[in-house]
Amino acid sequence: MRYLAAALVLLPAAILQVTLAPRLDLAGAFPNLVLLVVAGWTLARGAAAGIRWALIGGLLLDLVAPGALGVHALALVVAAYFTGFLQRSFAPDPLLLPAAAGALATVLYNLVLLGLSELAGHPLALLPVLQVWVAPSALYDALLMPLAFLLLRRVDRALPLPVRIEW
Amino acid sequence: MNGRAQSRSSGLFFGSVAAMVALVLLTQLPGASTPRGYLKGAVAPLAVVSSGVLDWAGGGVAVLRDAGRLRADDRRLSAENAALRRQVAELQAQGAENSELRKALEFQKTIARGRADGLQVGMVVVGGAGLVGRVSEVGERSATVKTLVDAESRVNAYTSKSGLEGTVIGEGGPLGMEVLPKPGVVVAPGEWALTSGIGGLFPRGILVGQVAQFHRRDSATLEQADLAPAVDFSAISMVMVLTDFRPAAP
Repeated sequence: MRYLAAALVLLPAAILQVTLAPRLDLAGAFPNLVLLVVAGWTLARGAAAGIRWALIGGLLLDLVAPGALGVHALALVVAAYFTGFLQRSFAPDPLLLPAAAGALATVLYNLVLLGLSELAGHPLALLPVLQVWVAPSALYDALLMPLAFLLLRRVDRALPLPVRIEW
Repeated sequence: MNGRAQSRSSGLFFGSVAAMVALVLLTQLPGASTPRGYLKGAVAPLAVVSSGVLDWAGGGVAVLRDAGRLRADDRRLSAENAALRRQVAELQAQGAENSELRKALEFQKTIARGRADGLQVGMVVVGGAGLVGRVSEVGERSATVKTLVDAESRVNAYTSKSGLEGTVIGEGGPLGMEVLPKPGVVVAPGEWALTSGIGGLFPRGILVGQVAQFHRRDSATLEQADLAPAVDFSAISMVMVLTDFRPAAP
């Protein structure tokens, strides 16, 4: 059920990421829909759940986007893990925490992608990319993240929490 | 509990990172491009369909946006149209007012000579081209001249070729002449009308105007001719007052 829900949310997000998101361009940046879903889910359910969704969403994104498999999944896993830190460290808040998490997740996600691009032999000028691309994207995602969190919290409430039997 | 969850998520994180790094490296191997291509090809139709739907929806949005822009343009142009119509109406009103004022100026003229110069009411005023009118009011140093085109103006005149007698009447623009008919005599356009001197108000032989049109009516006791004044009352700047002609009392 959990994985079905993940697929139902993440597959459209991944497809819209490569088809719709570039059309929502503002000042050269466009929203990272899969990242918003993963970060929102992490805030709603915690780092472990977020990492699972990051793996699924990242692999779906790898399939629909050009490039090597695993790149987006890796970047999303890093973003989800550190968003989990925020989720554990701060009191739940419907506005500021999601906005901060959206911005942080976007920066980490893009840094991982830039690092992997560097390792693959395609170096990019870090500072201009951060200024022209990453910062506006982070702002964009920060603005959208509260809405994404609101929607995902509804999904979270609709889905039963997994029962873990511990000894 | 929280620490256990953190260690669990950390374990998951490091495991996932290791797995994804391995996947990245694996799919970079030369032999991995074919299965990677198959996988990507399996989901590519979804992206194509999604893109098509978005293109279609985008077209609809563009139509709506265009409709909105056209509505805004329509509102703006309607407002401009209303403003222009108002300006046209105002200009027409001003034009009519100017025309009235111009006509009023043509009906009477003020001259810089008066009683001190020997001017008296009723004296005849002429311009370079012909009869202008009569002095209607006299001040010490100025006088008012009622011109031929004034509605109250009456000048007895005759036509230069046909010799018909009549009265030139001021009508505020082109002059009208009521002509006493003679059997078999017709006034031709282009004939001149000159003062006849009958009644003693004007001396005989001063040019009044030119016949523009003659209206012959067999049943009428008087015939009608339209005259173009000899003097351009809107452009006149200098006149002469005939002080040596003493008009009869009207």
